[in-house]
Amino acid sequence: MLQNKDPINVIITGVGGQGNLFASQILGQMLLQKGYLITIGETLGLSQRGGSVMSHVRASKRETLPPLIPEGLCDLVLALEPIEGLRILGSYGHPDVLTITNTRPIMPMDVLAGQAEYPELEVVLEKMNELSRRVWTVDATDLALKMGDPILANVIMLGALGGLKILPYDVRTFETAIREFFPDDRLTTNLEAFNQGRTSVKAI
Amino acid sequence: MSIITEGRSGQKVLLMGNEAIARGAIEGGVKVCAAYPGNPSSEIIGTLAKIGPELDIYVEWSANEKVALEVAAAASFAGIRGLAAMKQNGLNVASDFLFNLNLTGSIGGLVVVVCDDPGAISSTNEEDTRAYAKIGDLPLLEPSTVQEAKSMIPFAFELSEELGLPCLVRSVTRISHARGSVELDDPVPLSRRPHFNTGRPLVNVPALAFHRKLRAKLHRCRDIFETSEFNEYLGPEQPEALIVASGTPGAYAQETLNLLKAEDRVGIIKLGTTWPLPESFLVRQLRRADVILVAEDVDTFLETNLKALCAQKGRELGIKRFLGRGSGTLPDVGEITPDCLTTAVAEILKISYEARPPEYARTAQEAVSRYAPTRQVGFCAGCPHRAAYWCVKTALALDGRDGFLVGDIGCYSLGFGPSGFEQMKTLHSMGSGAGIAGGMGQLARFGFDQPVMTVCGDSTFYHAALPALFNAIYNQANFLMLILDNSATAMTGFQPHPGTGQNAMGRQAPVVDIEAVCRTLGARIEVADPYDLQGTIEAVNRLLVDEKGVKVLILRQLCALVRANRGEKLYQVRVDQERCLGDGCGCNRLCTRVFRCPGLIWDKEKGRAGIDDAICTGCGVCGEICPQSAILTEEI
Amino acid sequence: MSEKGGLKSLENGVLAKDLCVACGACASLCPYLRSTDGRIVKLHDCDLTEGRCFDYCPRTEVDVAKLHQAVFGRDRRDLDIGSTRRVVGARAIDLELRNRGQTGGVVSTLVSLALEEGSVQAAILTERRADLLPRGRIVRDSREVVTLAGSGYVAGPTLEALNGGSFENEDRIAVVGLPCQITALAKMRVSALDRRTPIDQVVLTIGLFCTWALSYGPFVDFLRKRVGRAEVGKMDITPPPERLLLVTTDSETSRIPLDEIRPFVRSGCDVCLDMTAELADLSVGTVEGRCGWNTVIVRTRAGEEILSRAEAVGAIETESLAEDYLGHLREASRLKKYRALKALEGKGYTDGGYLRLPNRLKRRIMSCGDEGP
Repeated sequence: MLQNKDPINVIITGVGGQGNLFASQILGQMLLQKGYLITIGETLGLSQRGGSVMSHVRASKRETLPPLIPEGLCDLVLALEPIEGLRILGSYGHPDVLTITNTRPIMPMDVLAGQAEYPELEVVLEKMNELSRRVWTVDATDLALKMGDPILANVIMLGALGGLKILPYDVRTFETAIREFFPDDRLTTNLEAFNQGRTSVKAI
Repeated sequence: MSIITEGRSGQKVLLMGNEAIARGAIEGGVKVCAAYPGNPSSEIIGTLAKIGPELDIYVEWSANEKVALEVAAAASFAGIRGLAAMKQNGLNVASDFLFNLNLTGSIGGLVVVVCDDPGAISSTNEEDTRAYAKIGDLPLLEPSTVQEAKSMIPFAFELSEELGLPCLVRSVTRISHARGSVELDDPVPLSRRPHFNTGRPLVNVPALAFHRKLRAKLHRCRDIFETSEFNEYLGPEQPEALIVASGTPGAYAQETLNLLKAEDRVGIIKLGTTWPLPESFLVRQLRRADVILVAEDVDTFLETNLKALCAQKGRELGIKRFLGRGSGTLPDVGEITPDCLTTAVAEILKISYEARPPEYARTAQEAVSRYAPTRQVGFCAGCPHRAAYWCVKTALALDGRDGFLVGDIGCYSLGFGPSGFEQMKTLHSMGSGAGIAGGMGQLARFGFDQPVMTVCGDSTFYHAALPALFNAIYNQANFLMLILDNSATAMTGFQPHPGTGQNAMGRQAPVVDIEAVCRTLGARIEVADPYDLQGTIEAVNRLLVDEKGVKVLILRQLCALVRANRGEKLYQVRVDQERCLGDGCGCNRLCTRVFRCPGLIWDKEKGRAGIDDAICTGCGVCGEICPQSAILTEEI
Repeated sequence: MSEKGGLKSLENGVLAKDLCVACGACASLCPYLRSTDGRIVKLHDCDLTEGRCFDYCPRTEVDVAKLHQAVFGRDRRDLDIGSTRRVVGARAIDLELRNRGQTGGVVSTLVSLALEEGSVQAAILTERRADLLPRGRIVRDSREVVTLAGSGYVAGPTLEALNGGSFENEDRIAVVGLPCQITALAKMRVSALDRRTPIDQVVLTIGLFCTWALSYGPFVDFLRKRVGRAEVGKMDITPPPERLLLVTTDSETSRIPLDEIRPFVRSGCDVCLDMTAELADLSVGTVEGRCGWNTVIVRTRAGEEILSRAEAVGAIETESLAEDYLGHLREASRLKKYRALKALEGKGYTDGGYLRLPNRLKRRIMSCGDEGP
């Protein structure tokens, strides 16, 4: 869908500790392989410790783009956590945006403390649907937990995105990119995670 | 072995801004690098520290930024190239040295990279470093892309040697923490043996003579900047308006014009060398239009100096209309984003532009405010600081004299918020807690009767708390200092410090023992484990009652992230839901509502507490606070 | 309708207004309140709107008629000193008990007897250690009772020991307390909230006459300046016109004019209505001018039974109280009530503040108005 678009603007969002930045780096590396010039803008702040995190991944074959995606130009939101995805739609969404979201919530501190409510997942998905051209879901954390490590959710999400063929990359691109980061012994797990995502993404 | 060390000329790689700066330093032939960690600058030295030994570069984490600059300057004085990196607050610390260094000048290339934090994303202030260049008559470069962040460093070394002056490079969060495609160059082949020329002392007396020399250097610098490739004009010959921009706004400007389809109406003067201003270049470009929008991060540095230039050159340039942060056209605080820039340009050109349908925007924002509760930052699961602040809160309440705690910068700064039970009552610069406590500790003579505590982390202790501690002991102030020793510079990414027994390059180093230092200074000292709540509370209360002198309580417990990364866990924790009182009188969810460790969860359906095994790090502290002893901790 | 509230209301209505008498009824119920150095300290905010802390406090709503009904099962008749079955002079036969005790040794004797004979298995008494801080103490051995005799004139959280102590289900408990503490026990009994305190096991309450109590911290600071670090033994107040606090240490007896210690009286005591612990089974105090004798007001059957048994086993002797002593007692009690209402008015509580008084009682109290000194 975005294969022939230039530039490609993706926002990856989640909660500190979910491997958001790693996901954006891998995506950047994959697109780099495909001949794009890449810029990734990361907003971490003090939020490594359980706060909201977002990365803007921008790819263009023509020019190096600045690190923030202007309002209205985001093509795709990849949400590692549902309400973080909704939050991004709040500021960067527009009627044509595509959204892929993990289904597993991470409760904010105020919710744990009983001072705020976390909405039902159905409500979040419904709102996302209202605010996006299309929405897909992946039970990424659940699958990752089954594989033994919740951190794999980020790779599962990238796999889901790969499976939808929205962006110009496939499992081989992923394998080349991941080799930059991991020794061979971690490769198999990551490839398995990628494939899990590829096959379990669902449209709503 | 990494792309940063191995990469060859022409290769295009994806680098983080701070990695690009590190690569630029390598390309520029740097030999000595020093810094004190501080976001968004930490990864510069972090990157270099990993590859220093391999490339025969000396890299150190210094005790503070002033020392870091002195260490880098020493290399320069001996004729080789040095680099110091810091965040905006760090330059304040280093500035006393910097404003003497400018007078003596430097010899080997000396580059000071300062990473500003527009929008204060990971800082307690948004400060504009560029003012220092003006005060100190120093050359200043401002990259606007990750590529420039790399390319400007070798240029800065050359410039520094050409002028005999340290060169300031101002990065910002949006560059330092961005990743971008960078085309590499080869490192300059330099093989110099460091030697200090004793025949050329670096002593800036008489100061006026040196000041005169400095001015002359600055004039020469201006001439160099007039033709610098880092300054350019992009746009039509005769635009309706001009955007003058430096830093990331310089990169946003083109996209803004594309979005507004105004490429033919507006020109962009992108400046990479922002002090001294390349006046002739600017006069040539400013002639093009009379409406000038200045887009820059934090202060009106360019705007003000351009206005001065235009006043000076009034006859040539005529009357200009300046718009920017000063005029309110752009927001006067926070970072410049593509969106506020677009709004401003649209307004100037009277273009109606909607990024998205207003109806959509309203719905989207409503959905967020209704369904997306904000995520507050707080201490990690099992963080010993949470336990420490719990003890502080309890001890101060029990003491009952309206005592309070003042603090400063580190992970423990979060003590001002709910995860530290709002215990930190002042928060300023590194080490300021001890200084303020020392001052408060003198006020009893005027009838001040509140007990005073201060808190400081282990890294901050070495950085700036020590002089304040000497001072308090010498001047017989009365306060209790808590040193939260978690054996890590946790806030900025676990850099080693003088207490960790390891240096920046991963080699073994002597341990500067905090306890021994405090004892030698003559403070009364106790050590406790913050996970032992009762013991810590009693220690605090005991030391608070003692009204004589400076008392130090070291609360020693390993950073929970470090422990978790090692795969260690002290306790297996679970909740006996039969015993748990939940919301009932006698508990009212003390653990989830008040203590608020992220490892504790509230099982709404059962109305009972629980443990999230994926998050709990097994510190066992919640077991101590549960009034029902329903949180069971089993030693592992 | 009785007033409901949680910790926030307690904090605003009692702690912040300095009406707390540190009785300990709210302590050891939860992690939010703790007693320390004779003070009740709030550690954290609790957001329950209904809590035992508020419900049990003798400075939140005290509905005199309702509590009276609950304890005695009938309306209050004697407006001055509460319900009585008989009022007598009494003293311990045992000389040691008599000397160690505050005056006549009656309280120690009755508690010892109850423990010995097994009518109770535990007694909540107040212990005063060398730091002079009163603490609640659970006593199960009658021989220990005598070591705890004597007054420190300092308010302390005795009831904390009841709330936080560990008791067997079959334990029957006696509590000796000040009028505020006895009031708190009565409020515990009528509370509709989930119990989780052993109040239903309390079968005997012995109240101590009280005109005021001192704040621990300020008073001890003062005392240490007067008598130094020496261990304080007995403290006594001499009758008028002398009015001295006698503080005995190993080396000497200091004679401190009462006016000097008045500033340390808890401001929560100023608004107290109750001199004779009107909701106790049995109240014990001192008869002015009858040296070595206690005045005992027997109020309930439980009180009557323990006193009778003590007489029967020869542990206590009683005598009838002279009419004029009884008159003094009534007058003193009424005067305390009058002062309390005036103090409440002075604090701006024109409606009686925390007190719900039957009109008859209010009129009776105010009638002594101008007679007051």
